[in-house]
Amino acid sequence: MILIGENLNVMHKEISQAIKEHDPEPIRKLVVRQTQNGMEYLDLNVGPLTKKPVETMEWIVETVQEFTDLPLCLDTTNPVAMEAGLKICKKKALLNSASGTKESREKMLPLAPKCSAGVVLSVINDAGLPSDADERAASILESLEFTNEIGVPNEDIWIDPVLLPIGVDQRQVSAYLEFIQMIPDLAPGAKSVCGLSNLSYGAPKELKGLLNRTFLVMIGRYGQTSAIVSAFDGELISIKKGEMPEIVNLIYRAMNENDIDLSSLSRKEVEYVKTTQVLMGKSLYSHSWLEV
Amino acid sequence: MKYEAPLEHYTANIREAVVGQGEKAIRIGGENTFPFHFFEGSLPDPPGLALEVLDIEPENWVQTLLDPFQEVVSEPVKWAKRCVDVFGAEILCLRLLSTDPMGKDASAKQAAVIAKKVADAIDVPLIVWGTGVEEKDSQVLTEVAQVCSGKNLLLGPALKGNYEEIAKAAMEHGHAIVAQASMDVNLTKELNIALCKFFPPEKIVLDTTSSALGYGLEYTFSIIENIKQIGLIHRDNMMQMPILADFGGECWRTKEAKESKEQGILWEAITGITFLLAGANLLILRHPDTLKLIKEMISEKQ
Repeated sequence: MILIGENLNVMHKEISQAIKEHDPEPIRKLVVRQTQNGMEYLDLNVGPLTKKPVETMEWIVETVQEFTDLPLCLDTTNPVAMEAGLKICKKKALLNSASGTKESREKMLPLAPKCSAGVVLSVINDAGLPSDADERAASILESLEFTNEIGVPNEDIWIDPVLLPIGVDQRQVSAYLEFIQMIPDLAPGAKSVCGLSNLSYGAPKELKGLLNRTFLVMIGRYGQTSAIVSAFDGELISIKKGEMPEIVNLIYRAMNENDIDLSSLSRKEVEYVKTTQVLMGKSLYSHSWLEV
Repeated sequence: MKYEAPLEHYTANIREAVVGQGEKAIRIGGENTFPFHFFEGSLPDPPGLALEVLDIEPENWVQTLLDPFQEVVSEPVKWAKRCVDVFGAEILCLRLLSTDPMGKDASAKQAAVIAKKVADAIDVPLIVWGTGVEEKDSQVLTEVAQVCSGKNLLLGPALKGNYEEIAKAAMEHGHAIVAQASMDVNLTKELNIALCKFFPPEKIVLDTTSSALGYGLEYTFSIIENIKQIGLIHRDNMMQMPILADFGGECWRTKEAKESKEQGILWEAITGITFLLAGANLLILRHPDTLKLIKEMISEKQ
């Protein structure tokens, strides 16, 4: 599983301030910490960059590249900024993101072959977000055909099935799990990616990590190749490094079996089992899913 | 070869809740299958059909709604008795609209006196409903619980922000409660989990909040249906409470219902029957003719 660090995000006031004032220090700190924590890509979520898109994007990419050798994943909805950023990336970068919408096909997707970048391609199309796994498959097949035609091979396409918060629609989480298992057949050689933290949006703060980590193990088992994650979740990093094989095996067991005897498990193990059951759609989600 | 219809058998039950006391107490829920699936499981209790009584004279009610209650609309006790004696209601719902902080803002004590008078005057079970204003309802419903101690009322709505006070008073004085979470299965479960930490689950009735025919009925239908499926098929014991639907106000607010008596009754009745088909166990109705019509539709005798 390739982990992409999500923490450089313009939604954080410190970062938006740093970008506005061209102050490299807050950015340096975030970049160095994420690199040290074992991220393999860094996502630069810089927002729409409505003012001075080229100059700002160039400054951000150059600043980040001063402090890390990691490849970058540029996350902006502004195609002008995207192109400016992709052009100066030292390593093969990722365009995050394109989709099957008319606007994306015209303005965003062509930047990937033009700048020799990989591209995150979501299942969204002009009709919106597909409601189940089959509709996702139909949508991505169309987008893949178009993307291949303009010169991007499957190997450079990172499919994003779009992960919705479990508190918003649990059935969409099940659809997600079903869909990622179809990807090798739909798009041989393509990669897959998601914004993992979106899963726990709205969940109690202290339980977000548990949802995200459990789901990361589950989607890894189903063949997902990468995820955009928080680099500052120590337990998530431990799982990634292979330091928690018992928990990983327990999550696998909870995916397979319906009746796991909880009485012999530690509190932490029980939490992982209950969370797996909720994420598998075996029990209905509520914010207090651990309490039942 | 003889054809045998394939049947589903569910191993879970919806809990049975009791409202009221003595011979006239009513039981709702208890089923181990989906609504009206008599061919495949057991549905021991017919749906409860309640008529509404307001504690103050109704505002903005169309004449059709006022006609059956001529001379009693400003006297809740007489209104309640008419519902039972004349219209055959087997359960009533008293709405304490007088307590609305944006309206008369009557005190909890004043409202509880009315609730007690109504409860004492009738021999059928009573639902007592607040205004949905959390802080006020927690004062009003706890006072009602105390004054009507032992009557096994159904008190509601208990919401995220006041369920603790209401449920504690209900428990202390032997009442059941309505747990209300608006149009969301996850929040419904959330509230039930919180309640069941100290409150008996068999004394909880669920309210998803309801919309009228033509005005979002299908959303309510889906939520009620979904809760029953999760309870019966997935055996989720936090989702096995009987369900109430309260939609009279929503129905009679529509321009269609206001157009004519016939259309109004049908609007309310179709909305109600639809919720019964989704799985509701208790309906709160506004017009006595609707009660009669729904009763006829679901009775076994044609």
